[in-house]
Amino acid sequence: MLKFVVKRLFWMIPSLFAVSFLAFVLIQLPPGDFVTTYIATLASSNEVVDQNTAAQLRERFGLDQPMLVQYLKWIWGIVTRGDFGLSFEWQQPVSGLIWERMALTLVLALASLIATWALALPIGVYSAVKKYSIGDYAFTAFTFFGLSIPSFLLALVLMYVAAVEFGQDVGGLFSSQYETAPWSIGKMYDLLTHLWLPVAILAVSSTASLIRVMRANMLDELPKPYVTTARAKGLSEFRLLVKYPLRIALNPFISTIAWLLPNLISGSVVVAIVLNLPTAAPLLLQSLMAQDMYLAGAFVLLICALTLIGSLISDILLALVDPRIRLE
Amino acid sequence: MEVRGVAAGRPLGRDGLTRSSVWIWEEIRMHDDDFISTGVTRRTFLAGVGGAVALSVAGTSAQAAAGKEAPQLAALVKDGKLPPLAERLPQNPLVIKPFEKIGTYGGTLRRGLRGSSDHNGILRMVGNQGLVRWNMDFTQVLPNLAEKWEVSADATQFTFHLLKGAKWSDGHPFTADDVVFAIEDVVKNKELYSATPAQISVAGKPVTVEKVDDYTVKFTFAAANALYLENLATPLGQHPTLFAKHYCSKFLPKYNTNLDADVKAAGVSSWTELFRAKCGDIEIPSRWGNVDKPTLDPWIVKEAYSGGATRVLMVRNPYFWQVDTEGNQLPYVDEINFGISQDVESLMLNVISGKVDIQERHISTLANKPTLSQNMQKGDYRLLQLVPSAAQQCQLYLNMTHKDPAMRKMFADKSFRQALSIGINRQEIIDIIYFGQSEGYQTGPRPGHPWHHEKLGRQFTEYDPDKASAMLDKVGFDKKNGSGIRLRPDGQPVFFAVDVIPTLYPDLVDVLELVKAHWAQIGIDMKVNTIERALYYTRGDDNAHDAQVWPGPGGLDPMLDPRDYFAFHPQGSRYAIPWTLWYTSNGQKGEEPPESQKKRMKLFDEARSTADLNKRGAIMKQIFDLAAEDFETIGVCLAVGGFGVIRNNLRNVPEKQPDSWSWPNPGPALPQQFTFTS
Repeated sequence: MLKFVVKRLFWMIPSLFAVSFLAFVLIQLPPGDFVTTYIATLASSNEVVDQNTAAQLRERFGLDQPMLVQYLKWIWGIVTRGDFGLSFEWQQPVSGLIWERMALTLVLALASLIATWALALPIGVYSAVKKYSIGDYAFTAFTFFGLSIPSFLLALVLMYVAAVEFGQDVGGLFSSQYETAPWSIGKMYDLLTHLWLPVAILAVSSTASLIRVMRANMLDELPKPYVTTARAKGLSEFRLLVKYPLRIALNPFISTIAWLLPNLISGSVVVAIVLNLPTAAPLLLQSLMAQDMYLAGAFVLLICALTLIGSLISDILLALVDPRIRLE
Repeated sequence: MEVRGVAAGRPLGRDGLTRSSVWIWEEIRMHDDDFISTGVTRRTFLAGVGGAVALSVAGTSAQAAAGKEAPQLAALVKDGKLPPLAERLPQNPLVIKPFEKIGTYGGTLRRGLRGSSDHNGILRMVGNQGLVRWNMDFTQVLPNLAEKWEVSADATQFTFHLLKGAKWSDGHPFTADDVVFAIEDVVKNKELYSATPAQISVAGKPVTVEKVDDYTVKFTFAAANALYLENLATPLGQHPTLFAKHYCSKFLPKYNTNLDADVKAAGVSSWTELFRAKCGDIEIPSRWGNVDKPTLDPWIVKEAYSGGATRVLMVRNPYFWQVDTEGNQLPYVDEINFGISQDVESLMLNVISGKVDIQERHISTLANKPTLSQNMQKGDYRLLQLVPSAAQQCQLYLNMTHKDPAMRKMFADKSFRQALSIGINRQEIIDIIYFGQSEGYQTGPRPGHPWHHEKLGRQFTEYDPDKASAMLDKVGFDKKNGSGIRLRPDGQPVFFAVDVIPTLYPDLVDVLELVKAHWAQIGIDMKVNTIERALYYTRGDDNAHDAQVWPGPGGLDPMLDPRDYFAFHPQGSRYAIPWTLWYTSNGQKGEEPPESQKKRMKLFDEARSTADLNKRGAIMKQIFDLAAEDFETIGVCLAVGGFGVIRNNLRNVPEKQPDSWSWPNPGPALPQQFTFTS
């Protein structure tokens, strides 16, 4: 087990390098660079940059150097000093910008994850056990709705209703008086009153799909002989379900941990933007749109690292939960 | 709204100040009809300057002391935490006549910003405190931090007399030293600005600024710079009042021998980075990112604009140096709260539910107008009308310097361009896309502007497909292929792509689709090439485009952006980028343009150094004549105005404002005198 973990960790290093290089190339692939995008953005509000400034900006940001040189400089800073570079747009260190948003991102991601699992698992099991009952049909109808409504559209509709019909403060995670206040009971409460809307929106589609997955897995397991054997031995129906088929049906959930971690950052970009949430996702999109290279690069690198770590964790968990799986 | 000479007790009348080259367009009569209709005709520049000098500056401190201040500030004064009002104001504060009425103190003004690169949204609202400023009508330059000035006859020397006793937001006096420091030590520092900003560099040499006495500075240019006052009133002219010497000198090696250690302590890589982070520049985000930086603005940053921010909060500057006509210190509004929306749609939602007090930025697209009009009652707001400063809504630039010789020959043929122009059914485009709110137009100063040029504006705007076909037949495109497309003399079909950026200008995509249909009828095949904005710029810079569209500027400010009148702007005159390079590099780079262009370039340089407005107008007319004759760009219709919203309880806001970067709306409408009624 330990050997396996060490080996996997060791292999992460070359993969991260490969990925970081690929990310850097991809970010640079679109035509133009940060300065052209910057000028174009200003031009869209009829604003101009002093004509002597553009060339000067390129020089300052090192955009006039070949790509390989830019990459090596960046990666050297990361390896030797842990310095992810400076965001072109904000002139602030990239790591600071990302960390600033991580706490709320985590809160939101965990809250919606818990909401999703807490709803999806029992409902999925219920739907499978009571196949073709009225309850099953009702949940199936709900899941198809949930799957087919794009979450950003749901967000927009709910926001419109809340803002225009009820005059509520929508968007963001805090009311304006708490936005920059230090943490307090009042602020926590304020956060909770704002959190339910994004959590509900984010949870709807993932709950729907998880219910389907859970139901299908359970249906696969329920007719198997070991279930019949257990029932023949006189186990209560509830204990039986929890002890045998549910454990096996959970396998796919555990393997999804691999992409849960990167989803912290890149998941729900559109919803976060529509709802104006101060999470990492809008910053990621913004940095890509503005071709803010180091910020975008650091994000991509972070996402890759999280994917690798996530798949390691899910592999280990799978081995622990399911004795049939071997780590060789 | 105009400035009064307080002591003299009379309005600073029509001859009291310098005239700008940028005249009123008939429709921007916003407030003082008498003033506009009689005041803004051709008047000489220098006569005005003499009048300005006569403005007396004595004996208003008593009046200022009688004025009031915001209750919070009065409380601070009472507690001894702030000097009394009379000590904070200049001896002779700048008096602003409120737009409607004397206001009351208080309130938070809410406005929206977009998530990325929107620092200029703050600049437009707060940061317009230069030496001089625009009047409400975008026609005249008024005193601001400079209470008067003299210009030498050859327009090379400008002497500014600063407001005596004006203070930075930390209470430190603002003097001539600050102006000299800003230009000589900061802007002319080669490490900070490897190229001097174009505005203060004339004939390849930067300006020289000298201190005459504590409140007088002299700017000397290497050659005539007749437009300097107008330029100084635009955002790019803010350098002289941007850097407080007592604060920013701490970040210059010349004044701080210990700077290297400070740079290290701050964890940045160079002193220039530290300087920019602390003192900012005209249009970079960090201008609004440092709460400690002293400014001369009506509001100062309390919660900074940074990458992680969800809002920017600005609070009143206790040392702001302007008062209303009763001597009350401005601003009236306590705070400005800029909410940051990642998405323009959620900004719209805030607007229609009445959570924004004044907004035109980002929401003024045609598609939003019905929604905004419908929700006026619910959101409790009224509409703000923006008068475009642009001339043309959709200027088509056919690349006359195309890399492919056959394409170049085709586009360079004047009859070809004229035929394409009369092959466009402008009325249909206006009716379908612009709801009938425009008229067929080519380019040139807008109708009503004193320099409006009928031929330049209206020639070849009639729709006549038969005549267009006949013209094309005549110039050698008389053969057609099987699908009815004309063939060039070399046998290739007439085909070209027009680049357009759908994310910036969705309406132009619709216009082009209609133009494509119109041109198909006269046998011309065109592709609407929707591309990403950075690619658009890159193609232009590389001269790799067939044709591109962009709104054509120069409608109200023909001197500031003449890109459609000759090859002036390397990222704007898209019909001949290599010619613009030839012009901006003094013949070093690019391609030599034809005679008519060279003549116009020379004429424009002449106009730029001509102080006399009548003479300047005469020179510009020659440029317009030549431009009309050569017919380089094809226009569709007059630029259509945008709009915004103002909450009904926000007063003193003009409901018609120019929409321009040179008049950075709403800043010159003076947000410091906006006020809330309960």
